[in-house]
Formats: sequence, structure tokens, C-alpha cells
Amino acid sequence: MADKVKLFVNGQEVEVESGKNLIDAIGAVGIEIPHLCYHPALGADGNCRMCLVGIEDGRPPLVPACKTRAAEGMKVQLDTDKIKKIQRDIMELELINHPIDCPICDQAGECKLQDYYMKYDGQKSRMTVKPVLKAKKMDFGCGVVHDQERCVLCARCVRFTRLITKTGELGIVNRTDYARVNIFPGRPLANRYALNVVDLCPVGAMTSADFRFKQRSWFLTKSKGICRGCSKGCNIFIDHNREKYKDDVIYRFRPRLNEKVNGYFMCDAGRMTYKQENDNRLTVALLDGKETGLNEAVEALRRAVSQAKKIVCVISPNNSLEQMFAIQKFAANCNAAVSGYSDGYVIAGDGDDFLIQDDKSANRASFALLGIDASKAGFDAAVNGADLLICFQNDLSLSLTADALNALAGNCKLAYLGSNMDACAEKAAIALPVASATEDAGTLVNVDSILQQYAVAVVKNTPAFDMIHVVSQLGGEIKNCFEARAGLTAAVAALKGIDLEQVPGEGLALTVSEVPNVAA
Amino acid sequence: MQVKLLSARFDIPDAHKIEVAKEHGAYATLDKVFAMQPEEVIELVKASGLRGRGGAGFPTGLKWSFLPKNIDKPVYLAVNSDESEPATFKDRYILVRDPHMLIEGIIICCYAIKSQAAYIYIRGEYTTQVKALQAAIDEAYAAGYLGESIAGRDYKLDVTVHRGAGAYVCGEETALLESIEGRKGQPRSKPPFPAVEGLYGCPTIINNVQSIASLPFILANGPDAYKAYGTEKSPGTHLFGISGLVKKPGMYELPLGLPILEVIDKVAGGLRDGRTLKGVIPGGSSTPVLTPEEAQTVTLDYESMAAHKTMFGSGGIVVLDDTVDMVKLVENLIYFYHHESCGQCTPCREGLGWMLKIVKKIIRGEGTTADIDLLTELCDNIEMKTVCVLSAACTMSTRSYLNKFRHEFEAYVSGGASSQTAM
Repeated sequence: MADKVKLFVNGQEVEVESGKNLIDAIGAVGIEIPHLCYHPALGADGNCRMCLVGIEDGRPPLVPACKTRAAEGMKVQLDTDKIKKIQRDIMELELINHPIDCPICDQAGECKLQDYYMKYDGQKSRMTVKPVLKAKKMDFGCGVVHDQERCVLCARCVRFTRLITKTGELGIVNRTDYARVNIFPGRPLANRYALNVVDLCPVGAMTSADFRFKQRSWFLTKSKGICRGCSKGCNIFIDHNREKYKDDVIYRFRPRLNEKVNGYFMCDAGRMTYKQENDNRLTVALLDGKETGLNEAVEALRRAVSQAKKIVCVISPNNSLEQMFAIQKFAANCNAAVSGYSDGYVIAGDGDDFLIQDDKSANRASFALLGIDASKAGFDAAVNGADLLICFQNDLSLSLTADALNALAGNCKLAYLGSNMDACAEKAAIALPVASATEDAGTLVNVDSILQQYAVAVVKNTPAFDMIHVVSQLGGEIKNCFEARAGLTAAVAALKGIDLEQVPGEGLALTVSEVPNVAA
Repeated sequence: MQVKLLSARFDIPDAHKIEVAKEHGAYATLDKVFAMQPEEVIELVKASGLRGRGGAGFPTGLKWSFLPKNIDKPVYLAVNSDESEPATFKDRYILVRDPHMLIEGIIICCYAIKSQAAYIYIRGEYTTQVKALQAAIDEAYAAGYLGESIAGRDYKLDVTVHRGAGAYVCGEETALLESIEGRKGQPRSKPPFPAVEGLYGCPTIINNVQSIASLPFILANGPDAYKAYGTEKSPGTHLFGISGLVKKPGMYELPLGLPILEVIDKVAGGLRDGRTLKGVIPGGSSTPVLTPEEAQTVTLDYESMAAHKTMFGSGGIVVLDDTVDMVKLVENLIYFYHHESCGQCTPCREGLGWMLKIVKKIIRGEGTTADIDLLTELCDNIEMKTVCVLSAACTMSTRSYLNKFRHEFEAYVSGGASSQTAM
């Protein structure tokens, strides 16, 4: 635990962490100091002047809280008339050249200027002269659209490209109120994390071309989730909404703070994986490509299982830990071989030293926990002579050539349980729809062996059954997620002593020292 | 009234050349300097009472003593030659007429603060001056006064000239450092102060050209000879640039402490015939204006200026007579500071532009009394809320015109403005 210091805010004694700046330290105990340019991941810049506070100890009368460290006995003034007037004055100056186009601005509802105006300003405009006109809807590349007039020049985006991605595409050109954020001519944003500037922007200056004008932010339900774009498992917000007479649709993923996993950010590719939750879904059961009732299709697969001489269950590295366990149990019951072959999910060399991983699946680490073999040799041995191949969300078309997959589908009956109409589902003789990642709950273990959980975020008008339920209908002994978790803690050594119903929000590191609650 | 301490060689033909300068005493103090300990040099400069000539008037020797002791990093000297404050034109004379006085001063200063690298940050528009200075530095290198062993001693010093790109704000010490480092000239937040963390993260002393150029006289003649001029708290002499509506505008070296009106009359030739005094800007455009009544009692020193709620500034005196339209002068003033705002802090970036538009509105005859009040309030709202004092330079001076010449603004508002011209 960090050292604590006692200081006074508006005369009231509070205990805060030492060494932190005043915004973070005092913010941690629930007292807000307004700020636009400061961001914990980007450090203090001190340009917005919104966080000016008074400190009674003989130092200059005003200091920026973002650049002032909390110290023992400090007397911080936030509620004096002087400070309140400064906050009001700074807000007035921020707004004189702002277009105040909230009705057509995507940021409305989650905009610092709006929030601070309501809380710290509230006065009528005294601007009787023409505002500064700047450029609008500039294409900055990577799906980032910039509005210079809405910009407050806090330089968060500029600092992001300099400090985090180290690509430096953005800069502030010109001085005085001609100053504006811009790219270099012909050199747009070109990094794989560019859309984070949209989240970082405290106002509506940076918008996402993908999200623009789709939804008002106050209509969105913001559910917690885990990104499936790669094995990092970045924590996300799933922003979704069920419009009247329509289905629940996801409009965007946004990064959610988890210091242990992804910090404040996520990659652009992961952010766009929300689309596969909406598009190209397998919503009905298919028998030889023809739509059929779910019960009929399940019955057909049950029959195939009972008649088959050699069955192979192909597990996906995107299956949750619970799903994998349920499928393993089912396979054992019907004497099936199990393979996790999924080489196609790995793009060697694609990862970087920040968040993006080579492995584009979310839960490969669980293969090791459950002893699932994912080798090509193991897969080849398993499918040799098999007459029924059941793919559980594993799109074999990624790992096998089209010819090899066709040959496989010709040699044996191909069944598929999944949420999307991918190439494997198209080839399958029997295809059963299951709930997608955002419609299901489960546990994932990321590349750094951090175990994280997610809950059901989206409920469709006609919900698909979750994978474990469908597997149980096929004859699996595990009926639901809870049974799977109970079974897992009993069966898997690395999970002994962990209560899978009580995993902390920031996840649990699966290392020897981090599994402390083993009954002695 | 005029004296010739700093300007002693200004009128000697070819004094910018090293042979001529040496004939007349340049580099003669070095023997004495190198015989002293660096700390002794600092004490001597402290004893002389020399105050920074850039505008703030901070005691030079005291500034040097703020360097941390026992540092393992290099120490830098940055000579501020960005002379951009409107009405200020003193350093340019030193750079062209007697650059070797500056170089000698740099050697003295660097020896005292134990620095082996000095940067001269020179205003980009000073093309003649930068050529003269660079030629002098080249001569000094060739003559062995700069480089590996200075004047045959075991002491190394390199001097680099860095040209600015035309930003007034780069005269602010930390923006100057940013600019030398190759970045956009924007002031840094303080602390840390440059003496602790300055150029390239190392302890750095930043002095004005005239401060540094004053060192050879002080070292040659001792602190008492320097203190013989000026007042107790403002010792020495200053290069005053007197401009505006006087008969003999120009640069004059004067001891500090002289009555400002006497200087205007006797040194600068007085007002044009038939004109009356309307105001005096005492030390560059950013210093609050003085009314004729106030000017009666003002003397040219730091303490008298402070007592009259203005500043000594850079010694750039502007004399305003009854033909001057103060509202248009304020427009010109705000135009300059708005144009030169670095755009970093919200109040300065947005506020100065707003102020300029309000003044223009008043001049167009579309203003109201509320606009004058708003202008006055904006001065308060902007001032001292920013990283540096550029905005305060604009608001302090603007406020002085609004308070002392409000009737001229009101004349515009009520439609009775005169057809006077701005300076």
C-alpha cells in the first residue's frame, strides 16, 4: 500500500495517497477537481488551466492541481469565490470560440465541456463578436474525424501519438487562437491504436467515422465485457441499445480501465470486433444448408452422435473455460477425440510490444489448463477414420486450406455449433446457432495468465441458447455455467481454491503465488 | 546626463573588430577573472548590485547563486538576445557596435557559473546583428578567447548562436530553452526553474545581453565604480531606448535614477513644438502607462517605477503627445500580444483574441459601455492564470489605459471620438 498523507480540502481533513498529483489524490476520495488536459496515462501538461487551485502555504496564490503533488498538511482551496470565479472564467474562455453544436455533436452526453458548463459555469454568453472559424470534418485517417472548432487544444491526442504510440502523427500548428490540431500534409494517422484519441478527447473534436451519427450516447447501455480480438483480453465497455421495435444492437466497443491488462487503451482492430456480434450471424439451425427447426437439428445431431463410429470434437480457443470443460465432458461421454487445432487463429509477427498479440483468439491459455491438444499432428490422427466432426465455434477454414476442408467434409459428417455464419458453418451438414460472446457469460485466461470473467451483456429479442445448454441437449452432463465452474475448481489443479463465482473485476493472475486460498 | 560605460566603444570606428576592440580594452579583464575563484566572481557581481536588464530586474549575482551545488550535469548559459518587446532597441547596439564586450561578459559569466557551453538566442529578424555577432565570435575563436583553452588557460568554452524564428514568446526564458532544443517555443511550467532543470534538463542560467555586457566594466573597475552610478537599489547604467513623439529619439546610456521628464526634455530633445504630453510608456509596451501627472515624480529606477505601479521593464521609453489616440494604441498593443500568444494556455489563447475583437468593435463605433467594462473584466480574468506572463504583459498595460484614459474609450462608444492617430 502506498503511503498516506493527511491534507485539508476546503478546510476538511482527508487522507489521500502521497506522491500523487492533487487531481488523482483528491479525486480518489471523491472530490472532483475539473480538468481537461490532464489524463493519468498522458501525464500533466498544464495548458487548460481548469484545475487551478489555491494553496494556503505561502506559495504563489494559484497552482495547477495536475502539477502539484499531495503533501502532508497541505491546505487546498476549491470552494472559495476566487477559485469558483476562475473556473467560471476559464469555462467562458473555452466556450467563446466553441461552436456549441451539441445537438449534432456525437460527444453530447459524455462531453466535459457540457458537464463543466452545468457544474462550474452556467452563465449566459457575453460573446458579441464573431468567433474564430476553423476547419471541420477533417479526415485524420484510421477512421478518426476531427473538428477543429470543437477542439479545446488540450493536446491529449497529440501527447497520445507522441508518448504512447510514439508515431507522432498529430501536432498543434500555429499560435494564439489560430492554433489547431492537425496532421502533417499527406501524413494521416497511421497506427493501430489511433481510435483511442476519440476516447481521450474530452470534447467532440475527435469522432469515430464508424460511430458518428449512429446513436446518442445517453441511449446506450454501457455493459462491461472482454475483447475477443486477441489473447490480450482488453477490458471493454460494450455500448448497445435496443431501439423501439428493433433488436438489441452493439454500436461500439470502448476500452475500460484495467491497469493489470490493458490500461486505458485498446487496439483499433479489437474495437471493430463488435461488428461480428451484429453481422453475419447464424440465427437459425441449418440441415444441409436448409433452414430447419432447432429441435429437429439437435435431434439430427444426437442421432449422428449415437450412430457415429469415431467422433472428433474440435474446440475453439475462443470458447470460454466453462464451454471447453462442458465439451470435454461431453466428448468423454460419447467416446470422442478432442482437438483444439486452430493454427489459423495465430498470425505470426502481427503482435507488438504494447497490446496486440499474434494469437487472435481469447482463451488459448485455457487449453493448457484443461490439457487440450491443439497440434496439427494430434488433429490429423484424430480425424483419420472419423465419421463425425463437431466444430464448437472453431472456424476450421482459418486453419485448413479450402481443399483440405472440402476433403474433410467429404470424408465425414461435419457439424458446427457457432454464433456466426462463417465458412465452416456454410460447409457443415448440421449447423446449430449458439449465443455469441456478448450474449453469454464465461471465463477467459489471457496470454499473461490473467483469469477474467464476463457476464451477459446483450439480450436479443430471440436469444440463442448458450453453447453449454446446446451441448447438454446433445447429451453432455454439464447443464450450465455454474455446474461447469464447480467442476472446474474440482478438476483443474491451477484453479483449486479459486471461487469462480467471485473473481475480482480486475482479474486474477494464475501464478503460483497468486493462488493463495488453497485450503491447508 | 549621458555616460559611457557600456557604450564606451560604440562610437569608435570598427570597434566590432577584435583588434580595434582590444586596443580599447576588450578582454583586458580576463587576467583578473582567471586569477579569482568562480565563487569570488559571483560575490563581486552580487556586490555590484547589477540587476537583470531583460525587464524583470532580478539581481544577476543572486540568480547565479541559485545553481545547485555539486552537480554532475553540465551547466549552460543562455544569453537572451530575443529583444522583441515593442519599443525596446538596446541589445542590438551591443551586438553590432561592440560584440566583443558581450563575448568577454560571456567568458566572465561562464567562468563564474562553471559552464563550458553558452548559447546566444538571437531574434530571427536580427540579420545584420547575427552576422556581426557571428563574425566577432569567429574572431574570438581565432584569437584564442573561445574554444579549447581560453587565453591560454586550462578552461574550455564554446559559444553557439541560435537564431529564433520570429516568436516574441521565445524571449520568455523557458520558451527560449524549448526553442533552442528544437521544439515549438512554448513556456514551460515552473517549477522546476531553469537554474535547476533548464536546457536539455541541465542547470541553466539565462541572462539578458545587456546584463552580460555589463560584466567587463564591473570586473575591470570593481563593484564600487559601478555603484557610483544609479541609486542604491538600482545601481549602474542602462541603455535607454527613447522613442515616440520626441525631437531626438534614440538609444542613450544613462545612469539609473534620473527624472523621466528631464530625460525626455534634455536627452531626447523634448516634445515637438506646440505639443503637450499625454502619457509615457516607461519600459517597453507591456509596462503600464504613466499620465503626465504621474511622470512628474517618476525617476528611471526600479523602485520609483514600482511605487508608481508600473515597471522599469526594458528601458524602452515611449513618449505620447496629445495627437495619440489611446484606443487605437490599445488596439495595436492587443493586436501584438494576441498575435504573439503561443496558444498553449486557454486564457491567453482565447482571451486576447476576444479582447482584440472588442477593441475593434469599439473603434468601429459599435461598442457600448458594457464592452468597456467587459474589456476591463477580461484583463482580470486572464491575468496570472497562465503558465507565463505574456498575457499579463497585455492585460497590465491594457488595464492602465482603460483606467487612466477611459474617457477616450467612452468617446468612441458615444460616437464622439476624435480623428487622432495611433502610434
